Amino acid sequence: MKTSLRNIKRGTGLSAAVLGASALVLTACGAPPAEEGGSGSPAAEATDYRGCIVSDSGGFDDRSFNQSSYEGLKMAEQDLGIKISEAESQAETDFGPNVDAMVQADCNMILTVGFLLGDVTKEAAADNPETNFAIVDYSDPEFTDNVKPIIYDTAQAAFLAGYAAAATSETGKVATYGGMNIPTVTIFMDGFADGVDYYNKQKDANVELLGWDKKSQNGTFVGNFEDQGKGKTNTLNFINEGADIIMPVAGPVGLGTLDAVIEANADGKDAKVVWVDSDGYETAGKAEEFILTSVMKLMGNAVEDVIKTDTEGKFDSTPYVGTLENGGVALAPFHDLDAAVSDDTKSELETIKKAIISGDIKVESKASPQQ
Amino acid sequence: MSTATATEPQQSSAPTDIVRNWKTPVILAVLSVLALLVFAIGAPDNSVTFRLSAPNDALVLPDIVLSAVVTGWVTAVLMLAAAIWSFRLVRSGRKVPGWLVAVFAILFIVGFLTWVVGSARTPNVALYGLLAGSFTLAVPLIFGSLSGVLCERSGVVNIAIEGQLLFGAFSAAVAGSLSGNAFVGLAAAAIGGVMVSAVLAVFSIKYIVNQVIVGVVLNVLVSGLTGFLFSTVLSSDPARWNSPPRLPIISIPVLSDIPVIGPILFEQSVVGYLMYIALAIIYVGLFHTKWGLRTRAVGEHPKAADTLGVKVNRMRFMNVLLAGVVAGFGGAFFTLVLVSSFGRDMTAGQGYIALAALIFGRWNPLGAFFAALLFGFATNLQYVLSALGSTVPNQFLAMLPYVVTIFAVAGLVGRARPPAASGVPYIKG
Repeated sequence: MKTSLRNIKRGTGLSAAVLGASALVLTACGAPPAEEGGSGSPAAEATDYRGCIVSDSGGFDDRSFNQSSYEGLKMAEQDLGIKISEAESQAETDFGPNVDAMVQADCNMILTVGFLLGDVTKEAAADNPETNFAIVDYSDPEFTDNVKPIIYDTAQAAFLAGYAAAATSETGKVATYGGMNIPTVTIFMDGFADGVDYYNKQKDANVELLGWDKKSQNGTFVGNFEDQGKGKTNTLNFINEGADIIMPVAGPVGLGTLDAVIEANADGKDAKVVWVDSDGYETAGKAEEFILTSVMKLMGNAVEDVIKTDTEGKFDSTPYVGTLENGGVALAPFHDLDAAVSDDTKSELETIKKAIISGDIKVESKASPQQ
Repeated sequence: MSTATATEPQQSSAPTDIVRNWKTPVILAVLSVLALLVFAIGAPDNSVTFRLSAPNDALVLPDIVLSAVVTGWVTAVLMLAAAIWSFRLVRSGRKVPGWLVAVFAILFIVGFLTWVVGSARTPNVALYGLLAGSFTLAVPLIFGSLSGVLCERSGVVNIAIEGQLLFGAFSAAVAGSLSGNAFVGLAAAAIGGVMVSAVLAVFSIKYIVNQVIVGVVLNVLVSGLTGFLFSTVLSSDPARWNSPPRLPIISIPVLSDIPVIGPILFEQSVVGYLMYIALAIIYVGLFHTKWGLRTRAVGEHPKAADTLGVKVNRMRFMNVLLAGVVAGFGGAFFTLVLVSSFGRDMTAGQGYIALAALIFGRWNPLGAFFAALLFGFATNLQYVLSALGSTVPNQFLAMLPYVVTIFAVAGLVGRARPPAASGVPYIKG
């Protein structure tokens, strides 16, 4: 009896180890970076240069800012002939190990994606002064001078979206919600709110915004960037309360909004979506006909530029700020819903865009990058 | 040595002579004083509209319009009366009846809703939407906690609910997309759930690995595996791999025309009806059949069950696999009913909430059902309130489901006792 028990126990340890090990392998967090050499590429000059990227928990296929930053790095691989490495984070606990793994992999430039990686990047940059860092969507006065923040004054483009939504809404109610109450999310909501306000003032209208109150910085948040079901439930809540244009600022959770809008339209309601980060008409993969427009952050070009500057040895740590003026942020075309937006509104949007660029209209958000 | 692994069932600690349990009256008193201060004295000076029917319902009910002040005072005074009565009952040595607690809870919810909606920017809420959303959010929790009931009642701790749901959702999306048939997806979800369950069963029953650790490792494993396949395979060709057809919505004639609850309860997909069936089967099965008696025996005192000829480990194995089927259906709800594609980690911790609902519901299928509904309600209430422009900060609203849990577990549910042998492997010796 005793021997059999001991046998069982020995088996136990082994099998637990196998299970645990396979779990680690499959999650692949902090695992050695996948090497993707840029062999055979035309620009042979900088072949020893390695550009690396660490995602946040959204992953490189989030149809949002991780993906567009990654595409920027891929463009640099093709155009500049650099080598790239990547580490995808599954959870916040992966951020530190992933950035460390990239430092170990002798990267010249490590690009971290997202506000949530801010602290990790700050520490890693301070510990590794000879490596250059760039971080998307976050800036911090305490950054050492080997970090270049790539930030976006998204509120400018969101302002246009808010105006367009207010002008297009038939129920007089529009809505927005976020994944989490963090600056890179609320900056969209602030700009959107200002755009709606501006429309109300200009047209003496009374379009209501649900889900966000700019003054109290308080609104609707799902609580994560994964649960599409909750995105759908939230969107149905908004539609029940009378909103007909909804802007989800929640990464993949926004896909739930698309499903809700598809259902609402099948139900005879008229609901539309304002997508964020990239042009949803091309990237979201469904409900294109209900996407009114998108508030775009064009990260790819900025990422490639920063890397190009670094390969030329001209790295500097002044933040890159994407604005309407330099094309870092923009409003996407209306695509299928072009007819839903009146010509007057379109020309007003052009005027507003010029006024924002010239500074005649100030779009302010607590979350705006400080310049 | 080897026999000591199965513990004795816990001694019931309540002696038979009169013990005056003051907990319930005290909690009721605290809540009713709170209600008096907030709902009555702090009532906003306006009227609150609850809309009962969507404009295109079969039978349109008129809106309910309540004065916040009057409702606040009426509910608070009634709650105080209930609290005082419960004090008198306990002093005379009697127990506080369950229906009194239930009435109190309803009064509290009415008072709270009126106050909180009244103080929002728009004091007008679609009650049907609030309830429908709550129910939708609760469905995966219900499946998850039923899966937990099956496992834990037979003595296996199931932390892997999250993994079962996620793998069910993934399998349903992939199989549904490839076959183009939602029912194939549904079957695949059940198989996916069973696969996760099988690993749990083999490791915790055959190899006696710590069950909590196996569960946690399985969750990480499934999250990693599905995340990896999502970014490599599913994202490469979403039209082929990740666009499952939706399950059709079947509305039951007559019943679905009942105002407010009809469209919520009787306009479901197959998965929704499977939930009712699973709930009924598990409840009746557990408490009224030979299988249920044996399952509970195996979970409480496996040695005794073994002595009477029940094959303990085989029983556990079968029940854990069955639990996988149930949780797999819950996973299918995500990708075949709720939304139309799989997303990385899309269950986002619902499996753990299901685990809490199971404990909150005292390891009873019906209890878990109501606990899950309460979680769903609290979550959706938070969303709806923030949509209405509530003055309460969203961080506090986000705590709502958990505050409700603490109050409910601490005061209104009573002592929760897990099955005695839950988490304890059985080694025949």
